[in-house]
Amino acid sequence: MSAGPYNYSYIFKYIIIGDMGVGKSCLLHQFTEKKFMSDCPHTIGVEFGTRIIEVAGQKIKLQIWDTAGQERFRAVTRSYYRGAAGALMVYDITRRSTYNHLSSWLTDTRNLTNPSTVIFLIGNKCDLEGQRDVTYEEAKQFADENGLMFVEASAKTGQNVEEAFLETARKIYQSIQDGRLDLNAAESGVQHKPSQPGRNTLSNDQQFNKDNCAC
Amino acid sequence: MLLPTHENVISIVQAKFSCTEIVRTLHLNASITQKGWVDESRILALVEHDSTFALFIIISEKVKPESFSDLTIERAIPIDKHFSCDTDPIPESYTHIIFSIIHKKLKLNFVIEIGFESSNFASEVIRLKEVSSFNVNNFNWLDKYSCGGSQTEIDVQQATMNDQSPDLPIVRQKVAQGHGISANRESFLRYQLSLKEPEYTHLQEFSIFVGTWNVNGQPPTISLKNWLSVDQEPPDVYAIGFQELDLSKEAFLMFDTPREAEWRKAIMDAIHPDTKYRSVAYVRLVGMQLEVLVNNSHYKYIRNVAIDTVGTGILGKMGNKGGVAVRLELHNTSLCFVNAHLAAGVEEVERRNQDYNDINQRANFRRHPYTIKEHDQVYWLGDLNYRITEQSAFQVKKYLASDDLASVLLADQLNQQKDLSKVLQDYTEGDITFQPTYKFDLNSDVYDTSEKARAPAWTDRILWKGKGIHQLAYRSHMDLKISDHKPVSALFKSEICVVDQNKYRKVHEEVLKKMDKLENEFLPQVTVDQSEVIFDTVKFREPQHREIIIANTGQVLAEFEFIKKLDDVSYCKEWLSITPFSGCIKPGEKCDLRLIVNLEQPLESIYDILVLHLIGGKDMFITVSGECQRSCFTTSIATLSRAPVPLLQLTPDQFKHAENQQSSILYSIPRELWLLVDHLYRNGLKTRELFESTALHEEIIRIRDWLDLGSMDPIPGSIHAVAEALLLFLSYTRDPIIPYHLHDTCIAAASNYQNCKQIVMQKMSDLDRNVFLYLCMFLQELLKYSNENGTDPKTLATIFGDILLRDPIRNSRPQANRGKASFIYHFLINDQSSLIMPCK
Repeated sequence: MSAGPYNYSYIFKYIIIGDMGVGKSCLLHQFTEKKFMSDCPHTIGVEFGTRIIEVAGQKIKLQIWDTAGQERFRAVTRSYYRGAAGALMVYDITRRSTYNHLSSWLTDTRNLTNPSTVIFLIGNKCDLEGQRDVTYEEAKQFADENGLMFVEASAKTGQNVEEAFLETARKIYQSIQDGRLDLNAAESGVQHKPSQPGRNTLSNDQQFNKDNCAC
Repeated sequence: MLLPTHENVISIVQAKFSCTEIVRTLHLNASITQKGWVDESRILALVEHDSTFALFIIISEKVKPESFSDLTIERAIPIDKHFSCDTDPIPESYTHIIFSIIHKKLKLNFVIEIGFESSNFASEVIRLKEVSSFNVNNFNWLDKYSCGGSQTEIDVQQATMNDQSPDLPIVRQKVAQGHGISANRESFLRYQLSLKEPEYTHLQEFSIFVGTWNVNGQPPTISLKNWLSVDQEPPDVYAIGFQELDLSKEAFLMFDTPREAEWRKAIMDAIHPDTKYRSVAYVRLVGMQLEVLVNNSHYKYIRNVAIDTVGTGILGKMGNKGGVAVRLELHNTSLCFVNAHLAAGVEEVERRNQDYNDINQRANFRRHPYTIKEHDQVYWLGDLNYRITEQSAFQVKKYLASDDLASVLLADQLNQQKDLSKVLQDYTEGDITFQPTYKFDLNSDVYDTSEKARAPAWTDRILWKGKGIHQLAYRSHMDLKISDHKPVSALFKSEICVVDQNKYRKVHEEVLKKMDKLENEFLPQVTVDQSEVIFDTVKFREPQHREIIIANTGQVLAEFEFIKKLDDVSYCKEWLSITPFSGCIKPGEKCDLRLIVNLEQPLESIYDILVLHLIGGKDMFITVSGECQRSCFTTSIATLSRAPVPLLQLTPDQFKHAENQQSSILYSIPRELWLLVDHLYRNGLKTRELFESTALHEEIIRIRDWLDLGSMDPIPGSIHAVAEALLLFLSYTRDPIIPYHLHDTCIAAASNYQNCKQIVMQKMSDLDRNVFLYLCMFLQELLKYSNENGTDPKTLATIFGDILLRDPIRNSRPQANRGKASFIYHFLINDQSSLIMPCK
């Protein structure tokens, strides 16, 4: 019944970035588990999730890195941008400050990823219409001005979550088809073959003086 | 046994290549293996171009490729100096071996059958390898083949990653892990889908016509219509078996017979005229031939066709007796047809049973499922050769004349052996309502009138095994008289599992989702008991430690390591050490990490974010911080000389002014230095090995606090502790007494005292020069008592040379120490009192 020894033909690396508390981990959880985490602790580090999706009949494995949003970790999380094929940049529609910081997140993304990286802006918590602090229109305008894809979503209800992740993948896949994304480039964030969580994220040699497992 | 087709395949494969690329030899049916599971088979081809050779791995869509369009080139491997190959036995297998091809980091394993073909192919590859080692060859012609393929990419990918990646061990580790997961993933998926089969399939009845005829070596001079087209409705599937297709020696020895084509044509001419049929598989071993045809409209639902032959005749392996088999999947049901010709002779019951067992054990389709019995439905047909015993030919004929089949069937060997579970144990046979089909006089309906006058017997039988099979008819066909056997056929209505594509997609999706979930659950997971480690006030050379507990809360082994951040040189700062910095934790277990801070730098506070990485999983950040207490040991001479009171009594403003050199210099040498040296001058001039013994750690800390806090009490600690404190003081001052930029000049000048003196007088700042000359004078004083304290200028020059001309990075350039010592030496043996000048 199966198509081959593997059930996916590409791996795309995603990162999720944005201020603390905008719901990055909840979006990841909603996407991978189809559930809302109501008391999600702050991410102290970089969480890792995976899911296989289908784009144009191709099975694609998404490897998603969900980064800590706290400002003090900013310098460290910057190391994870490298080699991302997709960047989901998240703000909270009920907190204007998280929207105001977008340009700084965008600067980081542009500086630290490659030109073919697909950046998708997500206005999260759109279920909290009553507490809205950022209008759809101004965010849409920001997205348009900066050439980002944009959607308002809710990790709580699941609204548009699937769409954001899938649309990003479609855009990446399209780039591959168009030849804009060079699969052979080391940092394209796309692998045409299956492998494990590709960890060339932090640096090329994470070796130190370590040869094997200490146990 | 199928060697004759080999040449045909070569020409088909050749069509894949240009005329300058010549296919030299082939190996069919090489199953590529990955970690225990066997993939579909490949064709290996040795191709020559301009005296260079390459090994091509080719996928064939059909078991026997019929045209070059059935072939896809998966990979081309140049046989160059990076190429090697090897053979390994497979444990407990006498029929197959592993043939490995290694090129650089790529390794591919193929399972091949031991035999002429494989040994010929392997020795040719090895020979070419030997030849190619001596030449530098141009393999540009392979470039155009380098981009195809997907199926073996696991190994290939491993290879390319390893090739490119500088951090090889980690990659290998990861891939090793990932490899397992991916491989398991496939079998897990297959298993889950099979469990859920009823959700996406429904049963549909297919009519299957099974026919068997021992044709006694006769050519097909008559039509087979009265055998193959006797039913109203055209069957969906035909499985037609012959035995004794050709009894000639040529057929036996050369495997080749004109009868093959003649009988196949006779079949095609006689199958049901109401539908078009297409041949799915065809196999022959000497006289045993089996052909499977399907209604054209079902052809696209046939997959994974494979054949095998088992000879059980002469020497237990020749093809005069035995079986031929075809296996296939029709929609989602696996079918196997076996046409057998078992040992002849009334007495050879045990031999027949043995032949049956041999066919079962030796038939191997080289893909999953491998054996006959593993199929959903098996149809066993053929001349099984079981006879009637216990009754004379006369007796049998008498029963038959009165239509008393039941009495004869009691004496049927097959029924008897089946009842004893000696043969065809799990198979079912329909009621026999037809006369025995053997042995007739040729071209007649008369049973054997020869001298032997054999008892008539039901040698030709059809049995089945599996769910959902209903026999509609079981009969002989008396009109076909050219052989001494009459043909037999059975018509079945069999339930075939048909996949509903929409439902299948849904279930497939669900299973994938479940696997995603599992994969996420099986990521390594740990928790740390604290993500922020705050140290108490960190003091100079007073180590503190904190423990962190990492608990494996996941379901798999967690392998962790601290990794460095971008642009960092190590995974933690120099003031911190972590033990262990990497390790493995079993599920449910814990690991204690010890973080030790030891401050030797002039820092106001310590702060770092450690990245704890789980291999194949997430990263966690651990923040380490603490306030530092300043100490005279790490403060510059310039600052100390401006401090009116002990360092820790300074107000922040006073310290800031001193540090920024805004306040005036109060002392020509730092107060702390004077206190240490003065103490040694008063109490230590006659102490032996003053600078060569080690003090207690606590003594140094007490002296540090005494100096930093200020006290009316006498200096604590032994004379040796004070001496060591002096060395530490000089070793850790923010800048060395002789500035870094003068080091090379000093060492270059070390052979000449005048030059050395000039450097000190002209290049050093007043403060540094004062400290330097003050120390030299003290050391000269010490040397005056060398009789008592046992010291000598060379020892002191060596100790102080290393400290006063301190290297930017500790313990580097040991070869320069001689130069440093020579430089200091001049100032220990010459009088410098005239050089000291008051500070402005």
